[in-house]
Amino acid sequence: MEKIFKIGGVFAVLGIMAVVYIWFFVYNKPHRNYEKAEADFTLSAEACYNHYSDGSEESLQYLDKVLQVEGVPSSIESTNSSVIVVFAFNSGMFGDEGIRCTMLPNYHDRTTNLELSENISIKGYCTGYNGTDVILEHCSLITQ
Amino acid sequence: MKTIKLTTSILFLLLATSTFAQRYITKTGHIWFHSEAPLETIEAHNKQVNAALDTKTGAIVFKVLMKSFIFEKALMQEHFNENYVESDKFPNATFQGKVTNIDAIDFSKKGSYEASISGDLTIHGVTNKVTSTGTFEVLPNVIHGKSKFNILIADYDISIPGAVAGKIAEENEINIDIKLKDLKK
Repeated sequence: MEKIFKIGGVFAVLGIMAVVYIWFFVYNKPHRNYEKAEADFTLSAEACYNHYSDGSEESLQYLDKVLQVEGVPSSIESTNSSVIVVFAFNSGMFGDEGIRCTMLPNYHDRTTNLELSENISIKGYCTGYNGTDVILEHCSLITQ
Repeated sequence: MKTIKLTTSILFLLLATSTFAQRYITKTGHIWFHSEAPLETIEAHNKQVNAALDTKTGAIVFKVLMKSFIFEKALMQEHFNENYVESDKFPNATFQGKVTNIDAIDFSKKGSYEASISGDLTIHGVTNKVTSTGTFEVLPNVIHGKSKFNILIADYDISIPGAVAGKIAEENEINIDIKLKDLKK
């Protein structure tokens, strides 16, 4: 009888450990830390935009990857809750077209103080191309 | 990729045919959806939505990159993109419609106006007619639009496995908040 209780106890502990593991590391696993992630591709912002707008094969490899793009921003847009760095290379029905980078909240102050003539590098998660712009989310500013 | 470009061109063709003076746009529109199921409440936000309004004809269009919806939980975001809306296959959602009472809105006069909107909403490659109401608040240099409506996810050929049925509502609330600016300014 004592042996059965011991075996049962071991299974109960293993079961609890499995539930805790699934709860914390599967169901509630955190978002990837894009600020600390290594860039999968490093390239100029203009080349990245051209690859997408030309529909070239290179663009297929950027989706869902961490990109580090470098260039001179054309504008920095602030809304109530987000700051977006824009690298513009074209003009279309919606105005400027290029790469739009949504900055992480801890970069809002530094980003809004940037000089627009400054060459900068930004790293973020590429969610694709919407027909006018390449979108990068969770972006951080890379110090040269 | 050429398909994306072509779709965009077609979407905005109706806006292009009107004079430039009446076109208001944004690329920072905010759309979020809310799903309230017995076991879980889910909300996801997209703050890089393209939208355009022709204040003369009432033509209105939205283009939404599905992978830019940010969820609180990473696993939900994965399931949303991989299993439900299949973002790799259908990267964008679009709305192409009209403000049907455009004549009742004076975009030259500051104030808040009720709006009726109807059009075609395409999600997951499936298009359905949608009608909704909302408001346009006319401010100096900005038209602030808000709307809220519900969609049934089954209408967009999105099936939810039985195992997670209690966590995802069959009907989702879509919220829209856009601040449109004159393209010329």
